[in-house]
Amino acid sequence: MGGGGRWRAVQGGACALAMVASLAAGCRSRDRIVVGSKNFTESDLLGEIVAQQIERRTGLAVSRRFHLGGTFVCHQAITAGQIDLYVEYTGTAFTAVLKHAPVADRDSVYRVVAGDYARRFGLVWGKPFGFDNTFAITVRRRDATRYGLTRISDLARLAPRWKAGFGYEFLERADGFRGLASVYGLRFASPPIAMDLGLTYRALAEGKVDVIAGNSTDGQIQALDLVVLEDDRHYFPPYEAAPVIRQATLARDERLGAALAQLAGRISDTEMRRLNALADVEHQDIATVARDWLNHNVP
Amino acid sequence: MTRPLEVQGLGYELPGKGKRETGKGRVLVQDVSFTVGAGETLVLLGRSGSGKTTTLKLINRLLEPTAGEVRIAGERARDVPPTRLRRRIGYVIQEVGLFPHFTVARNVGLVPRLEGWDPARIAARVRELLAVVGLDPDTYAPRRPHQLSGGQRQRVGVARALAADPPLLLLDEPFGALDPITRVELQREFQALQQRLGQAMVFVTHDVREGLMLATRIGLMQHGGLAFLGTPQEFRESEHPECKAFMAAA
Amino acid sequence: MQGVHGGSVSLWGFYARNSGEVLGLVGQHLSLVASSTAIAIVVGVPGGIVLTRRPAWRGPVLGLANVFQTIPSLALFGFLIPLPFIGGIGATTAIVALVVYALLPIVRNTYTGIAGVDPAVREAGRGMGMTDWQLLTQVELPLALGVILAGVRVATVVSVGTATIAAAIGAGGLGVYIFRGVAVVDDTLILAGALPAALMALAADALFGLAERQFAWRAE
Repeated sequence: MGGGGRWRAVQGGACALAMVASLAAGCRSRDRIVVGSKNFTESDLLGEIVAQQIERRTGLAVSRRFHLGGTFVCHQAITAGQIDLYVEYTGTAFTAVLKHAPVADRDSVYRVVAGDYARRFGLVWGKPFGFDNTFAITVRRRDATRYGLTRISDLARLAPRWKAGFGYEFLERADGFRGLASVYGLRFASPPIAMDLGLTYRALAEGKVDVIAGNSTDGQIQALDLVVLEDDRHYFPPYEAAPVIRQATLARDERLGAALAQLAGRISDTEMRRLNALADVEHQDIATVARDWLNHNVP
Repeated sequence: MTRPLEVQGLGYELPGKGKRETGKGRVLVQDVSFTVGAGETLVLLGRSGSGKTTTLKLINRLLEPTAGEVRIAGERARDVPPTRLRRRIGYVIQEVGLFPHFTVARNVGLVPRLEGWDPARIAARVRELLAVVGLDPDTYAPRRPHQLSGGQRQRVGVARALAADPPLLLLDEPFGALDPITRVELQREFQALQQRLGQAMVFVTHDVREGLMLATRIGLMQHGGLAFLGTPQEFRESEHPECKAFMAAA
Repeated sequence: MQGVHGGSVSLWGFYARNSGEVLGLVGQHLSLVASSTAIAIVVGVPGGIVLTRRPAWRGPVLGLANVFQTIPSLALFGFLIPLPFIGGIGATTAIVALVVYALLPIVRNTYTGIAGVDPAVREAGRGMGMTDWQLLTQVELPLALGVILAGVRVATVVSVGTATIAAAIGAGGLGVYIFRGVAVVDDTLILAGALPAALMALAADALFGLAERQFAWRAE
């Protein structure tokens, strides 16, 4: 009668085996550039753009290890040498990884982050792509109209009657929910519901929760008729996306630096949102979106 | 006075299978008729597959007759709901089928309890019957079936069948699974029991010696029909080939 | 490898500081497992009984339950989310998925337990004039109880583990700690969720095992 239980144990064992095998496989490909990404669409898209750019400009072989996990998983992976490169956000590196208190000036954030990463981890920051993907405290449009919500401060009076839903990383990070609640005086009746980040938009649209923390460049915001509230107290630092690469990898081939530099400043907020919508809302294949964009925008 | 059991033209046909031309299925029992009076034992004798067990099950409607009629104490079996019918008929099978999670007492008292008898009356009846089948009530009433030998279990099986004092008893090779010594012992005791109790009984067996010993009359079944119906003495003297075959094996 | 978020805080210290939250999550987890197992019993035991009365249905029903069993839990949650009434984010979807996984062991064991009753016992019961209901309630179910409880035991233990995944879709429970810990690579957090879940599974296994031995019909 162990059929059900035994089968699940076999599944678990097979999963564990597959993970070990893929980890081992990852370690062996030293001649390839390994590009990683975090577990959301934009990160995958940027990772794919970087990977294709390296392939077309340097001819080097690239391995992709996308949708790895959150910030901390990717950071662990790159410091351990399991990936060579991934796209990180300045504000995230500043507060979550380096654990500094948030600062509003984007240049000083970038300088500190580039300097600390080089010194402490042997990682080099490329120049930012040109957009800011900050946490978007988001509500439904009809609620925004009904209660006159335009800024995060406006939430304070509604919070006791409302339910919040967040992804796990936002709940845990120092620059996440805890800091936000304290700076804006948000007191929800019950603790926020925790779920996979991708599900929070659906939860908001379906009325299961009333406020979420999405990403400001997400394609779903417009599609689901949602409204992003202004960070009037400037709680969140700037989150500029840029490629982060291991010093050792950069030194392997001088064409790498040039290839990455070509991407600097090429993607605006609007452009990133458009690309995200193509992937998330219209379900286009990420590799295709990346290739089309590169062909049109980068010589 | 109506007899406890009257069987008229009883038949049983399995649906579907069989020759297409005739539209008939396989016939297991065909045109069987007999009656059994109070205190009488009809032994249904026959080879394996002769239809004797099937006939037995047609009486208490474990199988539904496809032809003919059964009357229990004058009432048509077809007109009585099967459950109520069976509570008025004692049923003993070869494997006994005692409930393993009931004590002997609870096993014996099953039908009285289903019929809603007073607990004190049930308890008294159980004691009475255990004594009748040769088991000391104080020792055996609280025991469970797995603590009994094969012979003891069948004694309990008989007691159980008699519990509600039914007018008719059906027994399907009740001693077939026992060792020869125990079998003989139980046959002798059963014979004594027959004389004490007033039940009408139908007793199925393939053992001709057992049949000759316990029968008031013998019904010899062959290929689903009754080849012979008569007293044991008539059976011994019969010229019918099947009777002679059985006598040769006696 | 060192976790970036540092696992230097002791587990007991964590439990001491967050006792309210821990108890809340344990309560949520127990609620998910208890309600889904209860529903699976209410549906599965009668279902198993029906299978013993209608042998033709046995193949399709058990086959279907078997197929459900092979769906990876996260995938099943994903399939259920878009559905009306039983879907959406939250505990409802999680409970539906947990019921689906609990059905196979319970239905199959109910069927096996009852079918395993000695045919002679059934024949004797019928022959003496027991109705189907009386046979079921006084004979078949009591004799099958041990096997049925074994099925409930397997279903519950599996549920405790599967319920940790429910946190991905907002259903709460101990999986919340595990997902949080994975997000920030914090071993203490992961353990804070995994340890009570493991203990819960062991406790369920032991308790139902005890009940099984108590009620199991032991032959000679």
